[in-house]
Amino acid sequence: MAPSDHIIVTDTEPLGTSSRRNNVGKRLLLLCTIPIGVYLLLPSLVVVPMALTKSQLIQFPPEWISVHSFADYFGDPQWIDSTITSFKVAVLAMIIACIVGAATGLGLHGKQFPGKGVVVGIILSPIVIPLVVLALADYLFFARVHFVGNWVAISLAHSLLVTPYVFVTVQASLTGLDPALVRSARSLGARSLAVWRYTYWPAIKPGILAGAIFAFAVSFDEVVIALFLQGPDATTLPVRMFTSIQYDLTPKIAAIATLLLGVAAVALVAQAALALRGGALSRPR
Amino acid sequence: MITPVAGRAGAPQATPIATQHTAGRRLEVIGVWKSYVDKTYVVENVSFTLEPGQFLTLLGPSGSGKTTTLMMVAGFELPTRGEIRVGGRDVARLLPERRNFGVVFQGYALFPQMTVLENVEFGLWMRRLPRRECRRRGMEMLEKVGLVEFASRKPRELSGGQQQRVALARALVFEPDALLLDEPLGALDRRLREALQLEIKEIQRRIGISILYVTHDQDEAMMMSDRIAVMRSGRIVQLDSPTEIYQHPRTPFVANFLGETNLLPVIECQSEGGVAQVRFADGSLGFAAQPRGGSKKPAGSKMMLSLRPERIQILRRPDQTDSVVTGTVRERTFLGRQIRYVVETLGQKLIVSTTDPRLLAEIALDHRVQLGWAHGDAQLLAESDD
Repeated sequence: MAPSDHIIVTDTEPLGTSSRRNNVGKRLLLLCTIPIGVYLLLPSLVVVPMALTKSQLIQFPPEWISVHSFADYFGDPQWIDSTITSFKVAVLAMIIACIVGAATGLGLHGKQFPGKGVVVGIILSPIVIPLVVLALADYLFFARVHFVGNWVAISLAHSLLVTPYVFVTVQASLTGLDPALVRSARSLGARSLAVWRYTYWPAIKPGILAGAIFAFAVSFDEVVIALFLQGPDATTLPVRMFTSIQYDLTPKIAAIATLLLGVAAVALVAQAALALRGGALSRPR
Repeated sequence: MITPVAGRAGAPQATPIATQHTAGRRLEVIGVWKSYVDKTYVVENVSFTLEPGQFLTLLGPSGSGKTTTLMMVAGFELPTRGEIRVGGRDVARLLPERRNFGVVFQGYALFPQMTVLENVEFGLWMRRLPRRECRRRGMEMLEKVGLVEFASRKPRELSGGQQQRVALARALVFEPDALLLDEPLGALDRRLREALQLEIKEIQRRIGISILYVTHDQDEAMMMSDRIAVMRSGRIVQLDSPTEIYQHPRTPFVANFLGETNLLPVIECQSEGGVAQVRFADGSLGFAAQPRGGSKKPAGSKMMLSLRPERIQILRRPDQTDSVVTGTVRERTFLGRQIRYVVETLGQKLIVSTTDPRLLAEIALDHRVQLGWAHGDAQLLAESDD
């Protein structure tokens, strides 16, 4: 929270106010933002003590302190299978999203034509269409072609959902590309492949990486589509957690949630680092 | 199909690369027109020749077609009509990557992810030269622009001046037919511009490359060019040496765009031996130089005389010059190394600038003064602006 607090404070400071007023303002702002931050984070953090319970049931307040729920999770082949399925689904969805999203972003870059707004709207629509609607449509389609219950089907459906994330980040990184750079490369003798390799690729690389992290996270986390398309051999981790919480209330759920929280934190930090580097790269001085 | 570097090394050439101090091949732009979908021409019938080793500037305000012309030479725009010849061969329809020009853009557009040396080597990589050859010639080029110790730096770690040298080195390393510079200094402040202008000239002198330069800055054009093509609304209005353009402008636009001038309408004119005797609206007479290369002016249209403020003398005795007019001082500004007067005469206001500080004490506001000029100091304009 600390760094983002700092950014908010400096951004909202009007220039030229006295330092004393600044301080009062900063304190007031901090007073407001800290509770909001706590409010946003606390519900997620609650799973951590719950994972450390001694009991065989998930409960609050937990009986401290044991790591048996973690051991149970790693010892249960069903849960491990689900984890692997989730990874496979997310990785394939991410790869498809990277290819399609980056290609779309590049294809639309610098082009002006009537109806471009509509095209972009269609590409971004999976973000705004209600997930249940998308899930139902996916289910009806894959049922028709007898593909329900296969992790690849879930992955394909997810790739549609996460492509906009890559598209948006690639588009953003292309706005930082100096058109003179492409012309320079051509004037120096670069054919299309070399132009791509030396100008477009370095410009969009950070965008693709950032988009890929997003895409992976969203697919890994997605439960509605995965629930519709699940099968005995295609149960993703969130789906298993969801079903499990209805039947056996095992603290393994809290353990997994805790692990995922850790992974998400790492991913967030990595993405922030990439964004910083990307920003530095796209602004040559 | 064109491999200019290989061609340079082996095959005989149409136009030989001349002496040690001139590199590049003759570039001819012949009757080039450019229009976009709306059918109005942004470039109309532009022709010029850039000889090897020469520095030619396309000078004009924004929208005059100068950058479009340069982009057609570079290959990023396709001419609607006309030819662009390099060493006698028409390249107007070739893709930019198949021409052999070094192009320098505003902001320099260096590859941010590559080192200085890699940037410079790039053109050689694209020509598929062996790695070691690329390295050797890249380093050689960096030596020429004095950046050897920066070879492994990234462009963003360099100053603006150093980046310009990298851009020039990158554009020069593959021995292009000419260097094309598109307002490279456009975004910089005055002091830095002047330093970098000198640097471009210096590198050009050392390498002997021909340069086609685009700018809207008349001082820059005057300082750097061998010849200047003044452009307006897609046409070249005058193509001459800087001194010729300054001293003998052909149109009011040229006279005003390069430096400051007074334009005096003339109602009658008789010429004899290169000197024109003119009559002003109030009936007084004066002398001026005849337009060089003849006047294209239709008979009976309005004629103009261009008179530079620094060529007008404030006379102590009336017989010093051949043309004399009398006027009243309306404004006086002391600018340190020059004094500017605004004098009302011939029914208009004339700007007169002088470097003689003694006049400051002698001539004050509302004084009657006599102004004079020698016939060679005034120029009768050949054409009017349309």
